[in-house]
Amino acid sequence: MLIPHPLLGLRDAQEFTYLGDASLMSPPPSDDPEALERHVHLRDNPAGLLRELWFHEQGDRSWLVVTRDTRTHEILGAELATDIRREGAR
Amino acid sequence: MTRLDGGHVDRTRALRFTFDGKRYTGHSGDTLASALMANGVRLVGRSFKYHRPRGIFSAGSEEPNALVTIGTGARAEPNSRATVVELHEGLAATSQNRWPSLGFDALQVNDLLSPFFAAGFYYKTFMQPAEFWEKLYEPMIRRAAGLGKLSMLPDPDAYGRGFLHCDLLVIGAGPAGLAASLTAARAGAEVVLADEDFALGGRLLAETHTLDDDDATAWIAATEAELRSLPNVRVLSRTTVFGTYDHGVFGAVERVGDHLPRPQTVRQTLWRITAKRSILAAGAIERHIPFAGNDRPGILLGGALRAYANRWSVTPQASETDRVAIFTSTDDGHRTALDLMAKGVPILAVIDPREDAPRLGNYPLRKGAVVSGAKGGRKGLSSIEITEGGRSDWFECAVLGVSGGWNPNVHLASHHRGRPEWSEADAQFLPPSELPPGMSVAGAAAGQGSTHGALASGAEAAKAALGLDTLPELPRAEDAPSRGMALWHVPGRGRAWVDFQNDVTVKDIALAHKENMRSVEHLKRWTTLGMATDQGKTANVTALAVMAELTGKTIPQTGTTVFRPPYTPVALGVLGGGDTGAHFRPRRLTPTHPWAKAQGAEFVEVGQWMRAQYFPQEGETHWRESVDREVLAVRSGVGLCDVTTLGKIDVQGKDAGEFLNRVYANMMGTLKVGRVRYGLMLRADGFLYDDGTCARMAEDHYVVTTTTANAGLVYRQMEFARQCLWPDLDVQLISTTDAWAQIAVAGPNSRALLERVVDGFDLSTESFPFMACADLTVCDGLRARLFRISFSGEHAYEIAVPARFGNAMMDRLMSLGQDLGATPYGTEALAVLRIEKGHAAGAELNGQTTAQMLGLGRMISRKKDSIGAVLSRREGLEADTRRLVGLQSVDPSQKIPAGAHLFTAGEARDLNTDQGWVTSACWSPHVEGHIALGFLAGGDGRMGEEVIAANPLEGQEVAVRVVSAHFFDPEGDRLRA
Amino acid sequence: MPDLSPLCALGAFDSRSERFGALRLTEVPDLGLVSIALRKGAEAPAPFGLALPGPGAWAEGATASALWTGPGQWLLELPGQGAADVVGLVAPEAPGCSLTEQTDGWACIEITSTAGAAPLEALRERLVNLAPGTLAPGHGTRTILHHMSVLVIRRAPDRLAVLGMRSAADSLWHALSETAARLETQE
Repeated sequence: MLIPHPLLGLRDAQEFTYLGDASLMSPPPSDDPEALERHVHLRDNPAGLLRELWFHEQGDRSWLVVTRDTRTHEILGAELATDIRREGAR
Repeated sequence: MTRLDGGHVDRTRALRFTFDGKRYTGHSGDTLASALMANGVRLVGRSFKYHRPRGIFSAGSEEPNALVTIGTGARAEPNSRATVVELHEGLAATSQNRWPSLGFDALQVNDLLSPFFAAGFYYKTFMQPAEFWEKLYEPMIRRAAGLGKLSMLPDPDAYGRGFLHCDLLVIGAGPAGLAASLTAARAGAEVVLADEDFALGGRLLAETHTLDDDDATAWIAATEAELRSLPNVRVLSRTTVFGTYDHGVFGAVERVGDHLPRPQTVRQTLWRITAKRSILAAGAIERHIPFAGNDRPGILLGGALRAYANRWSVTPQASETDRVAIFTSTDDGHRTALDLMAKGVPILAVIDPREDAPRLGNYPLRKGAVVSGAKGGRKGLSSIEITEGGRSDWFECAVLGVSGGWNPNVHLASHHRGRPEWSEADAQFLPPSELPPGMSVAGAAAGQGSTHGALASGAEAAKAALGLDTLPELPRAEDAPSRGMALWHVPGRGRAWVDFQNDVTVKDIALAHKENMRSVEHLKRWTTLGMATDQGKTANVTALAVMAELTGKTIPQTGTTVFRPPYTPVALGVLGGGDTGAHFRPRRLTPTHPWAKAQGAEFVEVGQWMRAQYFPQEGETHWRESVDREVLAVRSGVGLCDVTTLGKIDVQGKDAGEFLNRVYANMMGTLKVGRVRYGLMLRADGFLYDDGTCARMAEDHYVVTTTTANAGLVYRQMEFARQCLWPDLDVQLISTTDAWAQIAVAGPNSRALLERVVDGFDLSTESFPFMACADLTVCDGLRARLFRISFSGEHAYEIAVPARFGNAMMDRLMSLGQDLGATPYGTEALAVLRIEKGHAAGAELNGQTTAQMLGLGRMISRKKDSIGAVLSRREGLEADTRRLVGLQSVDPSQKIPAGAHLFTAGEARDLNTDQGWVTSACWSPHVEGHIALGFLAGGDGRMGEEVIAANPLEGQEVAVRVVSAHFFDPEGDRLRA
Repeated sequence: MPDLSPLCALGAFDSRSERFGALRLTEVPDLGLVSIALRKGAEAPAPFGLALPGPGAWAEGATASALWTGPGQWLLELPGQGAADVVGLVAPEAPGCSLTEQTDGWACIEITSTAGAAPLEALRERLVNLAPGTLAPGHGTRTILHHMSVLVIRRAPDRLAVLGMRSAADSLWHALSETAARLETQE
């Protein structure tokens, strides 16, 4: 697989470490233990588009949010997690 | 059999080789198969199940029969296809699956018993009684199973690897592949052209076609010369592309040294090719027509017969007067007859089931006829039965070429699960319309089997893939389309083989059908069709068609099984990429490694690290003697241990304190500059993740440590927190694990020793108390960091110096500390010391434990939020009463098994009564008995109780007393002194 | 000057150097290294007058060279400053940045070719899975090499530097020298 790194272009997936669903970036407020519980333990497993976290461990150490079609492995885009997180905060 | 005229072997270069010990001679340019054929060898192997005598069936990598072992000793490679083994001087080949000899094979009795070995035999026979499976059936099947035998010796060869990136990967160097490569290359694209053969040209080498009125080889040579001269083209011959992976990544194996007489530096190279576009021009595989007795040596594919005659100038005849017949349902078989006649080979007949079969030349033609039987001994075919209009006659015949049409080689186009699509007009499975992204298919692989069609489609595919405007001028080629009908098998009573390698006949398919195996996937598994090393390359399509006929479905309704990599078998050695033995994985050495080695240390692998385990001294005969001595030296004098392997992360920035507050369970932001704090890190689910120390070097600068095992994981997790959770915090992270050599200096004399190296630094407890840290210099100006921390429970320090000085620092401390009892200690003593002190390590932080279980629940600060803090207070975790306790053998000489489970004395030993488990155990020189740490239910309230540590798997039971986990200095007076 | 004798990353007092055909591998023992990370809102500095490079690039200056290692992060190379307090040297040149000494974190192996770029390209394609342009002269990156994390820098058509974890220097040298030796025998 190749990951289209937003700064470095196409890089082989061997350079990356996979984490999982990008919702892990957005934990619920800590005063809601049940929501936290769901956040930590429950994952959707869609057949289709999934936004997911990849770490460019053997590269620039950026966390990326990669949009991938789980049926075909087609990758529709990749963004820096920091950019997404900051935009989300605004 | 002598050679025919012509061909592409170099008759001036003779090569000697052996087959089953017998000496033969071939030529440069031969494959093992063509050389055996030239020497009149017709019997080359035995089939898998029935041990039927078999001969060469094809001229390529689809070969089901001619499997041999190449080489001897450790280099013996079983199941090599003789049809693709390039002949070299001294090559030694051995036949397989026979005993005592290929000519007389004891297990051919299986053939007589074949009525018992029908489809599903294994499933039906070995089910009952169940207890027979392990003792009788499995060993019996294992003895009889398999074709070639592994040498069971280590592979002596080296394997290479490499990575290629290109605009266009062309798979196959036949007319389509060459035309595609030429088109792309002239346009300046970066091209990789790979072909599994040792010579470029593909099917052109097997034909007599002309290109531009000249021999096709002239065009191949000119094209190859041009391609090889271009800097943007890489030509990889002897290279099999075996898999199509995601996003234009392909796997390929280049056979670098297999064709050379002497072992090479590298035997094979694994190439990982990343291609923006790819063109599959892998040609087609001919199909045969099953009829009774069709597996006799001497019966082979018609296209292969033609290839042997044209390229290698040989036929499987025993003598040149032997008559050759062609059984064909397409025009293609007629061409074989023409080419053979041109070389003076006597033709018995061309047998064609079509009433309107064309006549292409002056050969006996039997229209509307089929071959319905074959006879012969183990030397092979002697006569065939021709049936025409209900009448059958036998004819003497030594060689039969069978041509049932061509199957496009769609494997690599189908590795993404796209299913090949049936074309009724062509009677072929064509490549799937949903191809792997970036791939197109050309030539015979796309159903364009004529030379003209192959050349044109190759060039067009390259033009389209690269968006070019022009095409190069292509040579003129004949363009007679081959017409034909599909004849899937000749009905009859005898056994008609479909899959030669796994001995699957038309009858087996019929039986599977009767037994309700209706899906092709079930058919495959019930009959083992297509499951041999050739993966049914010459069998699958025919089997599907037979299946369709039986079910009354169409071929597309019947469908195909899934294609998976590898296209042909790949040696595990080359997939490993060549890293073996000591170089199997990277090895990390600590800065004091040379010193420890000189001291005669025993080393132990800790992850990638090599760490000193203990330092045996003269007279010590058991490792425990060394370890006990090291432990006592630390407790009484001073010990030195390289602890560089602990992960070190530099944390800087205005918000470094706030960041660490959120990452660690306990409070780090309030830590004073110049102080160290022990820290606990939780997972998001509230369980313990890692522990370490956090040292504040400046207001905006911390140095944190992690356990050795988690160094990389903690760094990754911290980057996740920094980038994905709190990108607005001003914090910067970088690993410095390798930059600093860190040495633990532990024991009552540690301060006295360090005073001898520091440059005027006050080490008194008043100015540098327990849990202090500082930047300082040592040994006349060397930058260093000093931490007053202790893992052993002793008055102790860790000193860090730039890694290059680590070895000298250790040496200096040892020589300056002789009078203080300075002693190096390894990981074993380190472990004993920390168990005596009751400090947690990896065995206690195993992902199933909480801070509360360690007795550290109060460290999880309620004054702030941190990762995992809320969930650590979950009801289920809070209710867990298991606590870290010390365990001491009631009989001090009895070892406590680590991993043993704890039970209340007198209760059963099962899950319901389980009270916890032993995490770490050792002999304690301090206690003078065996001790352990473990988690025990209600542990805090059970001090003094005797419980049982049991390992029922090995019948071990030890009575242990529950004590405080702090065997040594429970009040911590030694630490703070 | 401290009265302790330093060891090179490969474990000897002297640095290692070996030739394989047109390629020479040399351990560089005296390269000072500092990581630079921008603090929030800080402008990129120009240490020793060097314009810090963008993603995937490496820039060479008279006193120092720099490799982009991540967003807002660089590795500054100070040739000949292996023994120096490099953070102290760079601090005035990079105000508002987090600096970390990295000199001894890495083993640096310089590979030079006496036959132009071709032998280096052949070596590259057997070591790292990077498109050729990623390692054109003036480019560099972190990547994976024989399961090791490395920084590779193409300093010039005929010069390539590989920096690996100091602790894995032996394994790195083995991977590089074995590959170079195999290329030599194949030539």
